[in-house]
Amino acid sequence: MDSSEVEFLAEKETVKIIPNFSLDRIYLIGGDLGPFNPGLPVDVPVWLALNLKQRQKCRIVPPAWMDVEKLEEMRELERKEDTFTPVPSPYYMELTKLLLNYASDNIPKADEIRTLVKDIWDTRIAKLRLSADSFISQLEAHAKLDNLTLMEINTIRAFLLDSLNCMYKLRSNLQPGSSKGQFTDY
Amino acid sequence: MGENFLSLDDIVLSHERLPIRTECRFPRLGFLEKSSDSQDIPEVVLKKRRVLSVELPKVYREGWRTVFNADPNVVDLHKMGPYYYGLGSQMLHFDSPENPEIAQTLLQTFIGRFRRNMDSSQNAYNEDTSALVERLDCLEKALFTSGQSGLNSFQSWEKGQASQLTASSLVLNYRKRKITDLQP
Repeated sequence: MDSSEVEFLAEKETVKIIPNFSLDRIYLIGGDLGPFNPGLPVDVPVWLALNLKQRQKCRIVPPAWMDVEKLEEMRELERKEDTFTPVPSPYYMELTKLLLNYASDNIPKADEIRTLVKDIWDTRIAKLRLSADSFISQLEAHAKLDNLTLMEINTIRAFLLDSLNCMYKLRSNLQPGSSKGQFTDY
Repeated sequence: MGENFLSLDDIVLSHERLPIRTECRFPRLGFLEKSSDSQDIPEVVLKKRRVLSVELPKVYREGWRTVFNADPNVVDLHKMGPYYYGLGSQMLHFDSPENPEIAQTLLQTFIGRFRRNMDSSQNAYNEDTSALVERLDCLEKALFTSGQSGLNSFQSWEKGQASQLTASSLVLNYRKRKITDLQP
């Protein structure tokens, strides 16, 4: 899976906007989008919010978790715990990037938020590598990781699966006579 | 490891030369005589036939095995034969009494080097990686490449290059004339 595909999936999340136009309810295949009245907040998917913002038809309200104090608490909690802490949103990295690129004027302290989210990301990736290493070095059969997001899994997926394949082949060498098979005579 | 007849890696690795001893007479094959001195023959000729007995290359023997068990990270696996893991797995086909130890050493070497390979492949972005890669076996090089591709795809997405249209490297290599250069 490519990072752009993960971003595409992230764009289905809902975010609150305040439109400056009015429109009746629209009926889309994915669901209905409620009537738009100027000045009244309404929940829309991120893809629509970004499109309206680029056409200057709305103002995006930052999600509740996108706040400097809350993110600082989350960062401290992430650094203290050995396991993964619950994430503010299953797509926190993608939403941060999208909203801060297109709507940074609607979000206070955008740069600090970007730094904090990057810190949280780095801590989680470091924990992921540590657990992948202990998984391999102790030859475990399966591992359980809670609270991982799709983007984090995506960065390590190719490498981890290939290494596990190699390890499987090397481990099957330890079983005598299991995969040696028959040879054709020359 | 499962042998893939068409795999380029398997073909190249099975051309490694191994010292052997011939056990019986080969009539009319002039260049092989019943002897006890070692001759080097490419592994592809040898299979499990009680005709030849193979000596292990020195990389898989007791001396080097203790080195690998002590610290696998300091060894230059590329110099030890670029196909250390592949050839080692093929060597297990020749029933040598040391087979379990060889298999165990192969596995433990891989596990010991895994951490460093993972860290170097997942952190080296946009730099010259030749110093990191030169001590890796071919198997580890393939893993390094897949780790780098994951890292590069994430970084390019984060910079916003994932949604930009860029000319493919193949097209740039053709160096076709561009219409903007032709028109004055």
